[in-house]
Amino acid sequence: MANLALRNLTKTYDKTQVLHGIDLAVEDGEFVVFVGPSGCGKSTTLRLIAGLEEVSGGEIEIDGRIVNNLEPKERNIAMVFQNYAIYPHMSVRKNIGFGLRTSGLPQAARTKRIDEVARILDMTDLLDRKPNQLSGGQRQRVAIGRAMVRNPAVFLFDEPLSNLDAQLRTQMRLEIKKLHQRVGNTIVFVTHDQVEAMTMADRIVIMKDGRIQQVGTPAQVYHKPANTFVAQFIGAPSMNMFEARVSAGQLTLANGSTLAAPVPLFGDRPVILGIRPDDLVAGGDAPLLEGRIEVLEPLGSETLAYVGVAGREVIAKASGRAPPAVGDSVSLSADPSNMHLFDAETGEALS
Amino acid sequence: MQLYRNLSIRQKQVVWAWGFLAVPIVFYVSIRFYPTANAVILSFMDWNLLGDKTWIGFENYVKLVQDPVFWKVFGNTFLYLIIGTPLSLVVSFVIAYHLDKVRFMHGTIRALYFLPFMTSAVAMAWVWRWFYQPVPIGLFNNFLASLGLQQVAFLNSTTNALPSVLAPAVWAGLGFQVIIFMAGLRAIPKTYYEAARIDGVSTWTVLWEITLPLLRPTIVFLVVFSSIGFLRIFDHVFNMTTNNPGGPLNSTKPLVLMIYDTAFNSFDMGYAAAQTVVLFTVLLCVSLLQLRLLRDR
Repeated sequence: MANLALRNLTKTYDKTQVLHGIDLAVEDGEFVVFVGPSGCGKSTTLRLIAGLEEVSGGEIEIDGRIVNNLEPKERNIAMVFQNYAIYPHMSVRKNIGFGLRTSGLPQAARTKRIDEVARILDMTDLLDRKPNQLSGGQRQRVAIGRAMVRNPAVFLFDEPLSNLDAQLRTQMRLEIKKLHQRVGNTIVFVTHDQVEAMTMADRIVIMKDGRIQQVGTPAQVYHKPANTFVAQFIGAPSMNMFEARVSAGQLTLANGSTLAAPVPLFGDRPVILGIRPDDLVAGGDAPLLEGRIEVLEPLGSETLAYVGVAGREVIAKASGRAPPAVGDSVSLSADPSNMHLFDAETGEALS
Repeated sequence: MQLYRNLSIRQKQVVWAWGFLAVPIVFYVSIRFYPTANAVILSFMDWNLLGDKTWIGFENYVKLVQDPVFWKVFGNTFLYLIIGTPLSLVVSFVIAYHLDKVRFMHGTIRALYFLPFMTSAVAMAWVWRWFYQPVPIGLFNNFLASLGLQQVAFLNSTTNALPSVLAPAVWAGLGFQVIIFMAGLRAIPKTYYEAARIDGVSTWTVLWEITLPLLRPTIVFLVVFSSIGFLRIFDHVFNMTTNNPGGPLNSTKPLVLMIYDTAFNSFDMGYAAAQTVVLFTVLLCVSLLQLRLLRDR
């Protein structure tokens, strides 16, 4: 049974519709990440689930109950905010305990629960401090602690890592993932960072313009993107896209190279060919593209090469130890099984 | 010029900073600190504006302590303070708290609350004075009479006069306090309230445990600011009781009015200066005490 279900969820502000029918079922204990560019409706969806905004249409079900008309506190959820929303005038203990005020628990049980949460988050010695005596990562943990203490059915995270510096973000990412493995609650996590999504999620929900583009495991959305948007949004650097034409099973690129279509297609139609930089290698028997290296971005383990091919830039990966030089001519080829074909008009994947 | 050029960047900044600060310092020293010091010295002298100043030591202060009018006035001043400050703060907070939630005609309503603050205190005092008149002139008494109720002697009774004078003073300051409170309320991040909503605590808890503590800097400012205002109350009292300033029977007379009387009706400058020193000390103590009590711990 799904722990959280969204059915044809819509949201309208005045005359602007920002969510166009969101359907999603989240299993008990699943870690689901909503990802998309800003304004795609991911945060709105989260706020609808939390009950901070009113639903315009559709249903939200949590733990088998339709919660559309329930106050946030009655929904059995907890939320971690981007700016943590921990109260500066209260100690860590009071902050964590704030959510227990309405629990009806006796004082002793509350203290026990707070201590337990503090132990899980490894901050027992911070309980008597004020938030301004904590580092960014510690504040983040207090915010998570405040959500955990109520033991909700669903945790909601609204871009909780975006206020942290890069190193701390990586560390907290890992900590949240570990925490999920230990505690096992359902988590809905919103981010605009595809790396965060890929690294943490059991399933990723990719959104754009108020619509779900694709739902799948990190491997699925990376290897089998549903459309050109997902293909370019997931993975860094972005997938290279080429206009091409399919006729009689032959794929012809704009520069005249041909190859056997990686996907059997009928008729004569324009398509878009997508190849990830990782899959575009120098050399090979049947080079697909030829060009000159314009810019190199050394990343240590690898080097990104921006290759000028017929007036446009193609990104390819090269060795980190023996990188090519700027100005070198290269021929690039790719394994047909790593190519992605999309409809030229709709952008949908062809398979 | 060579000398200036050889200075380090830090030293140059210091030169400029003191250059700009020098002007207000000279200004303050000559029109604030010098007269203040003069007043303190004057408080130990006997002077009637025309004659010679004679040193009389603590005689003015002794006279003050033995003067029953001074103690009456001292009490009045504190009454203005301890009724006026809490009352105006509570009322303006309640208004600001609710106005913050109103979207309909928000700007207009806010402007209406602010209007009294922009009005001249003299004009306002005279309008209120008219409100307080007995039947058939005064608005309030006419209203009471039309309901068949007994008239109230607002300004003519020794018990009612002080609150009656205080009311327009509180009312006049409301607009300012409402605006400051609303700015303070707006500065509290919305997510605090959203987090509290998810935690499901009551509106009352949110008010006491989140809004008010986070509003502390605003409250400190307004408490100190309005306390100083009430301790220095003068124009409302003077204009509402012109026939007998501070009356009836000194029941509305604040310290500033007493100083004015002593100085410009009795021409007893030394005695007035002693009263001024007392007022200054009281203001200083009250402000410091409040800052200390309300300071962030």
